[in-house]
Amino acid sequence: MSENPFKIIRPTDQPPENLRKEVMGSVKLLMLLMRFMQLFMADYAMTLFENVRLTGKRDTGPSAAPPAPGSSTKDTPSS
Amino acid sequence: MLFRKKAKPDSHQSDEELVADLQRSMDADRFGILYDRYCAKVYQKCVGMTRDRDLAHDLTHDIFLKAFVNLSKFDHRSKFGTWVYSITYNYCLDHLRKTQRQRTDDLDEDAHGEVEHPEDRYEAELLSMRSEMLDEVLSKLEAGDRALLLMKYQDDLSVKEIMEVLGLGESAVKMRVLRARERAFELYQQLQPEGS
Repeated sequence: MSENPFKIIRPTDQPPENLRKEVMGSVKLLMLLMRFMQLFMADYAMTLFENVRLTGKRDTGPSAAPPAPGSSTKDTPSS
Repeated sequence: MLFRKKAKPDSHQSDEELVADLQRSMDADRFGILYDRYCAKVYQKCVGMTRDRDLAHDLTHDIFLKAFVNLSKFDHRSKFGTWVYSITYNYCLDHLRKTQRQRTDDLDEDAHGEVEHPEDRYEAELLSMRSEMLDEVLSKLEAGDRALLLMKYQDDLSVKEIMEVLGLGESAVKMRVLRARERAFELYQQLQPEGS
């Protein structure tokens, strides 16, 4: 049986190399625009600080750190 | 550290996992992985549909942007590949219909369910055509008919899958495929040199 001619004429072209750059450039621009939209139209404070995490002071030493959940407050005897 | 670092995308993640991550937060790198997986397929489909590499370049660009914008609408019921495939076909068809101002001969196939002759007498002829002749026939065929024939015979999509891509009912798909084959065969006969 002869081969399906539809399969023979299937295009095998590879996409141009600059296409990726163009698509990703447009995607990044779109993300930026959506961010601005969020910033000015939605809860701007949330958007602005979405990726910001406040951390406690780090120079207070280990004794000042709160105990880990589930950990015992008693010191374990050292061997 | 004040700013949270985004987790690096894992190129071994499945399409659906990547999409789920993208639905939680937009990330160009993750989308880049999806692009790399599907760009060749989408581009080749566009070339097959439009027969114009420059146009296929532009359409591929637009299709990926459309996919990116609509990612939140992907409901994980079908495979991501099927979803992209559906965007590709429908976008190309819309474009071709707009530009070529083709007649929309929406026959009354949707109205009355059953196809009278489901067995197709033209299928054998279609599948035994010389590839150059088939190429010529397809280039002269309406975009909608061409799309259907490519889906059925080049991509081996089942009727159910075509229904999903085009958003049509089973009888409508069967009827359209039948009509597309008939029109392709008519064109084939017109293109045949006299006496052969």
